[in-house]
Amino acid sequence: MCETNDEEGGGPEGDEGPVDEQAQFSALLEDSAEDLYEHAPCGYLSTQLDGRIAKINTTLLDWLGYQREDLVGRKHFSDLLTVGGRLYHETHFAPLLRMQGEINGIALELKAADGARLPVLVTSTVKTGSDGQPLLIRTTVFDARDRRAYETELLRARREADQERDRLQVLATTLQQTLLPPALVDVPGLDVAAHYHIASVDQVGGDFYDLFPLAAGTWGLFLGDVCGKGAAAAAITSLARYTLRAAAVYDPDPVAVLGNLNTVLNHEYNGDDPRFCTVVFGLLTPDPDRGGFHITLASGGHPPALLMRADGTADFLPTPGGQLIGVLRDAHIATTTVHLVPGDTLLLHTDGLTEAHTGPTAGGDDRYGDDALLDFGRALAPTTASSTISAVRDLLDTFGSGVEDDTALLAIHAPQPPSEEQQ
Amino acid sequence: MLAHGFGCDQSMWRLVVPALERDFTVVLFDHVGAGNSDLSAWSRERYSTLNGYVDDLLALCRELALGPVTFVGHSVSAMMGVVAAAREPEAFAGLVLLAPSPCFIDDPETGYRGGFSAEDIEELLESLEANYLGWSGAMAPVIMGNPERPELGEELTNSFCRTDPDIARVFARVTFLSDNRADLAEVGVPTLVAQCSTDAIAPREVGAFVHARIPGSRLVTLNATGHCPQLSAPEETAAAIAAFAGGTR
Amino acid sequence: MTKHLTLRTRTTTAGPVVEIAGDLDYDTADKVRAALPGLGLRPGQQLVLDLAGLSFCDSSGITVLIAARNHALAAGASIALAAVPDRVSRIFRIVGLAQVFPTHPTAAAAEAAWRPTGG
Repeated sequence: MCETNDEEGGGPEGDEGPVDEQAQFSALLEDSAEDLYEHAPCGYLSTQLDGRIAKINTTLLDWLGYQREDLVGRKHFSDLLTVGGRLYHETHFAPLLRMQGEINGIALELKAADGARLPVLVTSTVKTGSDGQPLLIRTTVFDARDRRAYETELLRARREADQERDRLQVLATTLQQTLLPPALVDVPGLDVAAHYHIASVDQVGGDFYDLFPLAAGTWGLFLGDVCGKGAAAAAITSLARYTLRAAAVYDPDPVAVLGNLNTVLNHEYNGDDPRFCTVVFGLLTPDPDRGGFHITLASGGHPPALLMRADGTADFLPTPGGQLIGVLRDAHIATTTVHLVPGDTLLLHTDGLTEAHTGPTAGGDDRYGDDALLDFGRALAPTTASSTISAVRDLLDTFGSGVEDDTALLAIHAPQPPSEEQQ
Repeated sequence: MLAHGFGCDQSMWRLVVPALERDFTVVLFDHVGAGNSDLSAWSRERYSTLNGYVDDLLALCRELALGPVTFVGHSVSAMMGVVAAAREPEAFAGLVLLAPSPCFIDDPETGYRGGFSAEDIEELLESLEANYLGWSGAMAPVIMGNPERPELGEELTNSFCRTDPDIARVFARVTFLSDNRADLAEVGVPTLVAQCSTDAIAPREVGAFVHARIPGSRLVTLNATGHCPQLSAPEETAAAIAAFAGGTR
Repeated sequence: MTKHLTLRTRTTTAGPVVEIAGDLDYDTADKVRAALPGLGLRPGQQLVLDLAGLSFCDSSGITVLIAARNHALAAGASIALAAVPDRVSRIFRIVGLAQVFPTHPTAAAAEAAWRPTGG
């Protein structure tokens, strides 16, 4: 930083020492101080409090192409600025200087006599008298052409990086969406709702779900979680989704469907980097006699579904012994059957929900867990598909960034017949 | 009720508030998009004309239910007061227009001189577009790195660091492209036009124009210089506001 | 968020024992994966993963345990887990891996249970 101890128009003062030496030293100092002021590698400017120029050094005059008499007593500092700079000076620079007594390193542009622009960095301080009253404003002006070019380059690079990042996020989101069904089919007499919670906009997660028609009066549904994140996981998610749909057309028995998926994944990824998924696959048929739906669920190592009954109770539907899909040549698939009576709601979820951090800060050690989810279901029952999804979404919101992994949710509900509903 | 102008927030009034508080109830606020306001409440549609701000102003008056207020508007906020008072005169006991300008651009057809040519304003907006990131980048370390003067405190840091470049660009357009000359004649409440003796943004002849167009208004020219007399000459500014507000109640 | 995972490897007569402590998840799983080739497993040995210090294990963690199993089987060795925390054994039950990995209460018990095979 370049500074001067020069009083406006005066020289150094109050030195002590032997008279001869002092005079000599003083003369030397006076000369060099004055010379430094005039030809310093930065511009110096002193103005009255209203901005009127009282003193200006040769360096700055040379930069601007003005004669001293053009400016001193005639022009204000803001007259040297471009219109944009003048506005900035009046609305930011001057008020801040008033409030702080100094302002450092502000980028402005000066207008030279020939109209050329000079990018500068400006620092100003208010000099106060012994009574603390402001007297004048001292300003140093640094040539910032190089720095401005560098900043411009930096800004350009930053804008490019921002655009690039936006593009990637759009790509990741688009990819995510292609892994999910655009809309769930309408199953007569069934209330369906689903939600996909994206934990990171930068990374594609590997959760998936679908609900689709099979032979007349039969529907298939599945929900699963491919281990890992990113493009590799997305590739398996795609493979799993399409294999499940194709396998279900070929043989809709849930054990057969997951067995086929296991064979495909096991052949595809049986190397040093094992890839697997956990899936629950269900076969859904309406029950015309008792009302509601009959469901057979097969699980390949997936967390159990949560059944919230019409009578207000809730329980997990365990499928013990079902093994995750893709690791072992002959994975064991476990099944369970349930009758969804009118008023019952079944929730399928991935473990992004139960593994979410619940501490006040997301870094806490507490995870939500199965027990809490069961309590949540008990408090919620009886409920509907859309109420369930919206309640779980609210729950996820309370975890904030504590949800580290994507979470897929699929809820199905057998509504009460209309006549009963009105009672 | 004190309303700040472009590039600022309510901290601009800090030096005049102590003097006014002795005799008046003072209401300070940040415009939406400025200072500590809720930035999520800002939208380009609502705040790309003065009307969004005027609506806020009138809503604020209703919400606080203080009865008719003396509204002090600095710079662009002076015109918000003009439009608001023309629309709902019953909400205002009086207006103080501090360094006002109804139109910054010269209008050769009518001989009006706003102080800037249309080219100046274009250049200014371009320079805002091009420089705001650089400016705010340069501002941040200034305000952060002020260890010798801790009394300047957090609020200053916050207000200037929170100037969102996108919002500032839109607010600059509203400020410098608005033309409210026709609204002046609609003002029916007592009005004080307070201008500075030297002001690069709102020159004296603009103050005289505002005074001439608002029926029954009074004009004072403060000794203060610059565009922010509430900072450069707080005592004089507070005294002018107090004298006027005392006479309107 | 900072994730911590530490690995300590020692050798016993039965084969290498790897103590895995901390969070085993997407961010840390590669550390275990990278350590596998350096174990120098020989046919007939038993690789023991000591999970006494494991605080968390998600699907990426499961993956790397399976990778360790594949690695051991490919080398003609076997694998066993020691001191599996309740949370992890619960996950193992859910994903059906409890039958796939022999488990022991401690690393010492795993060593004691090892029988040299013909290899």
